Amino acid sequence: MAIDENVEAIKGAAEGITYPILIDAEHLLTETYAISNVPTVIWIDEHNNIVQPNWSAFGTDTFVEFTGVESGPQKDLVRRWVTHNEPMMEPAAAAEAVHDLTHEEEQARLYFRIAAKLRRDGDEDGAERNFATAVEFAPHDWTIRRAAMPLRGKDPFGEDFMTMYGEWQEAGSPYHGVPSVRTR
Amino acid sequence: MSNTIDTALLAGGPLLPKADLGPVLGWQLKPEGLCQGDICVPVHDMAALCPDDNTVDLLAVAGLVDRPAAVDETTGLVAIGAPRASRRSAINDLQAPEFTLPDLDGSLASLSDFAGKKKLLVAFSSW
Repeated sequence: MAIDENVEAIKGAAEGITYPILIDAEHLLTETYAISNVPTVIWIDEHNNIVQPNWSAFGTDTFVEFTGVESGPQKDLVRRWVTHNEPMMEPAAAAEAVHDLTHEEEQARLYFRIAAKLRRDGDEDGAERNFATAVEFAPHDWTIRRAAMPLRGKDPFGEDFMTMYGEWQEAGSPYHGVPSVRTR
Repeated sequence: MSNTIDTALLAGGPLLPKADLGPVLGWQLKPEGLCQGDICVPVHDMAALCPDDNTVDLLAVAGLVDRPAAVDETTGLVAIGAPRASRRSAINDLQAPEFTLPDLDGSLASLSDFAGKKKLLVAFSSW
């Protein structure tokens, strides 16, 4: 699921992929699954039980130099779950792994949604006002602050990203779920 | 889903005709409370919900049915979030909430389309 409204960019990344790719332009899943960054991976079994809740895991090694997190170990764990039904976490631990959204994080999601709609409707001032409100509510939430960057004319891989990254680390690298572990 | 309705903002609260409540939120005000089908939520503070006989405060309604809400007073745009219960079902009960989203061609797909299979959800983005 792309937490993104840039369908053309997603289409570019989706070439040759045969599994379903869904577009969550309204960030609905960031609300119902408390997702606060990408990539976030969730395992759901045959009976709709969440076996592995929100987990910061990479499918490729594109960013390994920056993150230090390799994709191999997590893909091995997925394979073990698929072939041997082995979960990564005990259910009791899984049920404690994701903190609920705060009131501020809920508000941030709603103001982001208002801003994105105003932007699509051509009201740039209104969009900027509401993006700014959303970021004030949740300055360390990547699905808010970084996702808004390209919609506010900022580079999500540039200076604004590095500023946010520094502030996020200073705040203790908050993440709704199981954080990734550096493997090198 | 977005709806356009006639409403008035009073002290930041969007007030709308009672009759519009059903089409917007799927809930209706009845003598037994705020109802969706057979399910009714009792209303303890009717004055806060309905400033007069014909109008309801949309933010108060959202609060009663446990949905977050936000309003941009300049444009009158209101966002009402998903029921908090669906998120709690995910993070506390480990029950995956149903969702429906468009694919790259605009066709809708739902989690339940893959019932009986293992599913690996990957949230990703271009940003």
